[in-house]
Amino acid sequence: MTRDVGSIIMILIGGALLRITSGDVYLRYVKESMRPWLIASGVILMALGLLQLLDVWRSARREAQVHAESGDGAHDHAEHGAPKMAWLLVVPILAIFLIAPPALGAYTADRQSSVTTAPDASAQAPPLPAGDPVAIALNDYASRAIWDDGKTLVGRNVSLTGFATGAPNGGWYLTRLTLTCCAADATVTKILVLGSSVTPSSNSWVTVVGTWVPGGGTQSETAISHIQAKTVTSVKTPSNPYE
Amino acid sequence: MTQAATDPATDSQGGRRWKPTPIEWFIVGLGLFLLGQHWLVSLFSAPAWQAGATVFVAIVVQALPFLVLGVVLSGLITAYVSPAFFARVLPKNPALAVPVAGAAGVLIPGCECASVPVAGGLMARGVTPAAALAFLLSSPAINPVVIVSTFVAFPNNHMMALARLVASLIAAVVMGWIWLYFGKGEWLRIPQRDHLQGDTKFETFWRTAAHDFLHAGGFLVIGGVTAAILNVVIPPSWLQAVSDRPLISIVGLSVLAVVLCICSEADAFVAASLTQFSLTARLAFLVVGPMVDIKLVALQAGTFGRAFAMRFAPVTFVVAMIAAAGVGWWLL
Repeated sequence: MTRDVGSIIMILIGGALLRITSGDVYLRYVKESMRPWLIASGVILMALGLLQLLDVWRSARREAQVHAESGDGAHDHAEHGAPKMAWLLVVPILAIFLIAPPALGAYTADRQSSVTTAPDASAQAPPLPAGDPVAIALNDYASRAIWDDGKTLVGRNVSLTGFATGAPNGGWYLTRLTLTCCAADATVTKILVLGSSVTPSSNSWVTVVGTWVPGGGTQSETAISHIQAKTVTSVKTPSNPYE
Repeated sequence: MTQAATDPATDSQGGRRWKPTPIEWFIVGLGLFLLGQHWLVSLFSAPAWQAGATVFVAIVVQALPFLVLGVVLSGLITAYVSPAFFARVLPKNPALAVPVAGAAGVLIPGCECASVPVAGGLMARGVTPAAALAFLLSSPAINPVVIVSTFVAFPNNHMMALARLVASLIAAVVMGWIWLYFGKGEWLRIPQRDHLQGDTKFETFWRTAAHDFLHAGGFLVIGGVTAAILNVVIPPSWLQAVSDRPLISIVGLSVLAVVLCICSEADAFVAASLTQFSLTARLAFLVVGPMVDIKLVALQAGTFGRAFAMRFAPVTFVVAMIAAAGVGWWLL
């Protein structure tokens, strides 16, 4: 690969990082806390690419002068180029600019069982915040239901937002994925929705307002908690699709 | 940008019959992709492909800031730190330099993507390869950010962070010594920096950084593609199958660490969630992951040559696993 192509690739991949962080697109792939690092490395990569491009121009002009004076000359700037392997960097550039793959959803969730890890044994689940209904995360709800016997959920209207996935026997789960680092390590939380007259299509986003009901097992990572729905409203995909 | 890109090409044509230069091929190719965008997107409409593409982009996007940090540090070392400095701070005896360099890994708060170019930069500055390799293995596992995040992820097992530090340091130093006594110089391609020398230190700095980025970047893509495919192809249920056999579960989680390619600054949280496994098996996950994973082996192959990575990675895997099993049995 010649040095000029190398520069363009660095500028484009830096640009790709800046592009996904200029909106919410980067949240499909990584956590919000990565944003400043992505912006900084985007800027650095663009700067490296520009510096190299300027360098290529300068040496090309110098070479042209040598050419004019002594006839033919070798293209020695090509030999300092990057290995052929660097062409592969075109793949993520194209993937980001042209395809911008969507956030993980029902396909990933269907292949995994719901996992609710046990909370820190020494910490008591704090009472729910104020609000009627109170909006909480799915993994928070599941953790309270499964590891605290739903004590802090009794008598409260909660509002949960996630996407629908199919459950056995025609029911459906309200589902949300959680990232620890990036989309490669997504884990899934599923909550069985009871008493809903509609079954939203798989992968569509809904907000369920309802109350906790016992069932689905407790004190087990793979238990699936239940919710008795009062209303089910379809909503837009939240800007951060993960918890 | 398009206008900027065509300029040098017109320079080099010299008025003869039009023969496309690489940069022109590049622009034509990009144009074709733009025309075919609709078709490309429809190709990726199958859910499995989409999930794979998302995981691939996620791994690359997550790794890029750390790779950039690594190449910037490597450029700084090459441009601003003289070889005499390393000769002064590291013991003359290579067998002693290995543990010192291994312990120095605590200084750089990066993950494994950052440590590869930095280790390459150290070798280019005259540091004994064995010592630079000990640093390469220890730094992503024992730096303060990683140890603190391990501490936070295992609130009930405070020994976990200590066990991780001890086991990683042992594995890194042992690997350094193994390289010192059994490694052959011809397996290892020490990154050459002479042609990157610029007129000013700043020029040397950015040239090294750009050079290292382009050399490693392609391999990062290979690692990302492989990890994405395995992520989509391997059914998560096979983990359940190995969890109830102690020895097999250590091997199982070590293999999982290689496949998942999780950044070492976050892997403790993943390990914490694998509660069906013993603490020792999870320690193996935390020790092996920052030293051997698909993305990292690809990066090593790009920086130090394939002959090196093919020998170094499997031995590291075994040594790291044994170190984790031993320390786990002792401390956990």
